[in-house]
Amino acid sequence: MSISTSGGEQRRPSVVSTGKKAPAGDKPAADKATGGKATGTKPAAKTASGARVPAGRTGGKKPQQRRPVTPVKVSHGRSWGNIAIFVAVGILAAGIIGYGAYAVIQNGRSWEDKAAAIDGIVNYRETDPSAVDPLPGKESHEPGPQTYKVNPPVGSTHNNAWQNCMGDVYDAPIANEHAVHSLEHGAVWITYRPDLPADQVEKLAEKVRGNEYMLMSPFENLDRPISLQAWGYQLKVDNADDSRIDEFIEALRVNASVEPGATCSGGITATGTTPRDNVPGDQTMPQGS
Amino acid sequence: MTGDAEARTATVPEEAAPADLAAAGPTTGGPTDGVDADGPGRRGPGTGLLALGVVLGLLLGLAAGLLAPGLFRPGNDSPEAGFARDMSTHHAQAVEMSILAHEKTSDPDVRTLAADIALTQQAQIGTMQTWLKTWGLSPTSSQPRMAWMPDGAGAVKDGLMPGMATDAERAQLRAATGRDFDILFLRLMRDHHLGGIHMAQGVIELTDDEQVTALAQSMVNGQKKEIELINSLLIRLGAQ
Repeated sequence: MSISTSGGEQRRPSVVSTGKKAPAGDKPAADKATGGKATGTKPAAKTASGARVPAGRTGGKKPQQRRPVTPVKVSHGRSWGNIAIFVAVGILAAGIIGYGAYAVIQNGRSWEDKAAAIDGIVNYRETDPSAVDPLPGKESHEPGPQTYKVNPPVGSTHNNAWQNCMGDVYDAPIANEHAVHSLEHGAVWITYRPDLPADQVEKLAEKVRGNEYMLMSPFENLDRPISLQAWGYQLKVDNADDSRIDEFIEALRVNASVEPGATCSGGITATGTTPRDNVPGDQTMPQGS
Repeated sequence: MTGDAEARTATVPEEAAPADLAAAGPTTGGPTDGVDADGPGRRGPGTGLLALGVVLGLLLGLAAGLLAPGLFRPGNDSPEAGFARDMSTHHAQAVEMSILAHEKTSDPDVRTLAADIALTQQAQIGTMQTWLKTWGLSPTSSQPRMAWMPDGAGAVKDGLMPGMATDAERAQLRAATGRDFDILFLRLMRDHHLGGIHMAQGVIELTDDEQVTALAQSMVNGQKKEIELINSLLIRLGAQ
């Protein structure tokens, strides 16, 4: 009996190592006479786990004292199944949490981050606030022509009236003083050099038409074929197929508004670079232009 | 005990099984000694495992509670988000035309209708924009217009969603005056409402979000009633 018991003692640890594959299967064997064989061979190979108990409590002479000892090992052997379950649950939990965190972070990525990630974009709000703040000695809203620091302008003092930005595609240059007010309301203003090929102009127009908080117009003296403006932001590109155009629009349209909720309708629909503030009946009447 | 052992053996991988069975064969009687040893042995570590399990469960629950709102609210490409964005744009044009009508018409009934449409739809834009903010989504998206609706993309013409006035029609409306203006406004707004109702019904079929369904249904109901009013006004104006 003492032999079989000791056999159980040492045999079971051996089960632990093989236990990954057959956790409980060896147990019966350990309890049996075969344990005698195992005791002689396997424990030697698996001293690592087997040694713990014998080392600490080999002194135990009575079977009764050994029993508490044995269970420790036994439970180790049997808990592998549970451990496997917990590991599986843990991995599952990590997966769920990981996915959740990913989803939340992706959704939560701010428009500022999206804008900052666009190659070549200029954020005047950070690099040169004077291009966005009111002109020296002026209020944010002033009548009449204004002289802007950045061309095309991305902010600063503008007229009371804004340019209508309900997906309006203007075929002639418009007044900066109104367009800047549209930017303040959250619009993205696409400007292009008048010599831009017609097919490229049409590609730009397709990004504008039907979309409120968008407007587009030709612009004289651009240093690059296409320039996009939002309040405080600018991106210049050479081609209407440039994927950064869509990135700019997605990041900044509406989001860049400094007056959230302000609309794009009710603005000036006439073209011409001379600001039209305070011209009665001019704001929504193109025939007056 | 024997049953237990057999049950467990059954789950053992193939390589290990034969040896185990062979070993188990002669010892079917199993010493009671081993059984006794198992009893107390299970309880000690079992309690530890139980505690571990409880802690793990609580952590899982905590994580799920923190993340679930993010996982279960409408996502970036969901019908709810697509509807909120697209209907905001659709509404914005109705507001534009109605403000124009409020400013230009001399017909009191048309003016009242125009004010009703402009104020109602601008308020609804605010509601939908707030949804997007609450859902942690941008008011903009790289998704094409109407992509959230089955066959929706095909309904978009020249970038315009169903019922929206073209640039030419908007210019025509700005230029029109008097009775011509009233008739053109009412007709454009009737088409606009029909398109809007189509989109609202579309999201009602796709969503199980109560607030989205409620607002979309109110759009359907309200705009249907306004179409009836528009029809009666057009008849009064001698048009249809």
